[in-house]
Amino acid sequence: MLTRTDTEHCYHCGEVVPPGATFSAVIGGESRPMCCPGCQAVAQLIAGSGLESFYRLRTELNDTAPPLPGENLFLAYDKPENCSDFVTEIAGSRVRAQLLLGGISCAACTWLIEKALDSHPGVSHANVNLSQQALSVEFDREQLPVSELFQRLLALGYDPHPWQLSEGARLIGREQRAALRELAVAGLAMMQVGMFGIALHAGDIQGIALEYRGLMRWVSLLIASVVVIYSARGFFRNAWVNLRHRRLVMDLPVALAIGLAYLASAWATLLNTGEVYFDSIAMFTFFLLLGRYMERQVRHREFLRQTDLQSLLPAATLRKEGDDWKTVPTRSIGAGDVVLLRAGDTIPADGVLLDGGGAVDEAAFTGEHLPRSVAPGEQLSAGTVLRDGGGSLRVDCDAAGSRLATMLSMLSRGGDKPALARLADRVAARFVGAVLVIAALVAAYWWHTDPTRTLWITLSVLVVSCPCALALATPAALTAATAHLRRRGLLLVGEDSLETLLRCKRVVFDKTGTLTRGELRRRETRVADDIDEPAALALAAALEQRGRHPIAQAFADIAPVTGLQDVEVVPGRGIRGRFQAQAVAIGSPAFVAETCPALPTAPTDPGHWVALVNDRGLLAWFALDDTLRSDASDTVAALKARGLGVELLTGDASDAGPRLAQELALDAARIGASPEQKLEHIHQLQAAGTPVAMVGDGLNDAPVLAAADCAFAVNQATDLAKSQADAILMGQSLAPLDEAFAMATRCRQIIRQNMAWALGYNALAVPLAAAGWIPPWAAAVGMSASSLLVVLNSLRLRHR
Amino acid sequence: MDSLYILIPIAVVFCAVAIKLLLWAIDSGQYDDLDKEAWRILMDDEDAQPREGSDRD
Repeated sequence: MLTRTDTEHCYHCGEVVPPGATFSAVIGGESRPMCCPGCQAVAQLIAGSGLESFYRLRTELNDTAPPLPGENLFLAYDKPENCSDFVTEIAGSRVRAQLLLGGISCAACTWLIEKALDSHPGVSHANVNLSQQALSVEFDREQLPVSELFQRLLALGYDPHPWQLSEGARLIGREQRAALRELAVAGLAMMQVGMFGIALHAGDIQGIALEYRGLMRWVSLLIASVVVIYSARGFFRNAWVNLRHRRLVMDLPVALAIGLAYLASAWATLLNTGEVYFDSIAMFTFFLLLGRYMERQVRHREFLRQTDLQSLLPAATLRKEGDDWKTVPTRSIGAGDVVLLRAGDTIPADGVLLDGGGAVDEAAFTGEHLPRSVAPGEQLSAGTVLRDGGGSLRVDCDAAGSRLATMLSMLSRGGDKPALARLADRVAARFVGAVLVIAALVAAYWWHTDPTRTLWITLSVLVVSCPCALALATPAALTAATAHLRRRGLLLVGEDSLETLLRCKRVVFDKTGTLTRGELRRRETRVADDIDEPAALALAAALEQRGRHPIAQAFADIAPVTGLQDVEVVPGRGIRGRFQAQAVAIGSPAFVAETCPALPTAPTDPGHWVALVNDRGLLAWFALDDTLRSDASDTVAALKARGLGVELLTGDASDAGPRLAQELALDAARIGASPEQKLEHIHQLQAAGTPVAMVGDGLNDAPVLAAADCAFAVNQATDLAKSQADAILMGQSLAPLDEAFAMATRCRQIIRQNMAWALGYNALAVPLAAAGWIPPWAAAVGMSASSLLVVLNSLRLRHR
Repeated sequence: MDSLYILIPIAVVFCAVAIKLLLWAIDSGQYDDLDKEAWRILMDDEDAQPREGSDRD
């Protein structure tokens, strides 16, 4: 037996070990405390397979492991027709499966999963992609049935889901590889051309035989052609497509600069005169591609986590066939079927409860984390979770007709964000116009005075006005700001999130799980005269130890009394038992009144009141409440100090919303809103000319997040909500929200400075070039120095 | 200096080979997960008891 101190943490997941728990596992020759049977089973399996160095290697703690279900829930996948969308056949019984894994926290997890799977004789190759949290595994399905593979992953503490690559995700994957290819070619070519470039520049100063200069120019031309034709084609395509739609975008000056510098240099090489800019072309292309690649990498990652209907519903369901319950894939369920529901199940389809009952967590639709008690005859929705109880359900409609499917389809309707012209593109439009006009005037002037110099001087004007610095001004600042915010706990996903954030005049918060923690805590305890508080709490904790209802969580931090007998959990209502020869019960007033008819009426103060009684009378009232995040009021105050309107928009219809709004001094509160009403509310605000930033977490927030001008998802948000967000808070704190607004302001300042510099440089250099006074080497040096200055200025955003 | 006529083409050929290799590596998926590869070398080093035969990496 281990000796335990009060603040012992689980060796596997880092949670506080509940008092009195005796779970442990031997790791590295020492007995380590575990918080729950789930973590214990996982840790014992890892240590037992000789993989315990995992615990030395990991850099993050694991997720708390749920206890393994007693039976294999994935048996339906053993039939090939049930899993054809994520298992592909290679040859005979050899197959490749694609799975998404929940719970991967660091690189050591990928090592653990690969090692554990590779040790099975049926597995020929397992590869976990850390950035996508996906597993690709080749195995023999005769030796290792698909259901067994799922079961093994579950036993290691990871949550496997079938992964059907959507067409969009496939496309992004292909684009990402194509971008990397272009970047690789540009990078290697840049080094080669740069090498010749140094020789050529040295030759300009020291003198070089024309013969060798020609040789190096021709080779540079060859390599630069590859860069222009292969790596830079995206700029040309984009510029052309937008030009055809009469839009001038930043890619147009980029394409012009690359194209003209290339043509001028090629012309100079052919005639063996003038000056070449091949090194600048390659370098400019490489750095622009690098910035875009890194920006895409972040967006790509979040896109893959997008959820579809299938992944929100359980893989398999027990359906009534005759007198038997058969495991079938959820998607084969249709109207009229009867399915079995057990505690902890996600409800697979919309339908009516036939028998049984329990507490249903409907957070997906209402955002309210406190479950609703349901009885036979009541309507249940697919995607909600049965926290305790059980029963059978008659299905009304198939998955496509469910309330959940309706909500997901709202995403596409709400998904069109108000279009905003990007600052860089607006500047680019004027810039391109100005440069073309000036070039035309210069050409006209020289045509009249000295026709032989017209071509070279016009070209030099266009090349000197090379908008490298202008093109880098925005991405360099945004990249630096993104890196800084990431270190502070905010992951920016959207391309333009910082720019759109600045326009937002109103910040709309969801309540449960966003401003609050989304879990119940005890706020107040009122004990009767004949019992003291610790005794009442200990008895309540002993009863609630058996419960799976979220109320039980509120007592998990208390050491329970021993000697409780005949404990009975009544799903959705409460728990009763016998303690020291007396009947005791905890639960709603209506429930405990069965044990203690002389129950006084519940206090009318706000909160969720739970009564603890014995057969002689009341022992205690507990007020449970969802607690505010620790820095919620500071963050709201800071946002208001910035002159932003802050309001609450919640699906919860109770008085908790208005109370919270008053406590935080919010400007407005709207309660009891359905997902449709939430979306309408945001559209109304936008129609009234108020751009909105939305902060949310739940499934029901996803359509609103998609519609908001700038959307934030909190750390524990559902994957669907995260996939719609422009930024994700990575910790428990809301403070990075305020920081994002501060950063957006500073980022805009830096972008403006960068643009002012780039335009100022051009204002100085273009007239000199137009007069024919700028030697080409000076133009090249000026261009590089100007770009470098912009990058260094942007880096200021990272410090401070 | 005439050697430049041989050396420069050789450099270009090397560059082409390097690009070819890099493109092959990208296409075979070796750059799909830049987060993991940085760690993997440490992982295999730390493996206390390497299993015989079954280690392919």
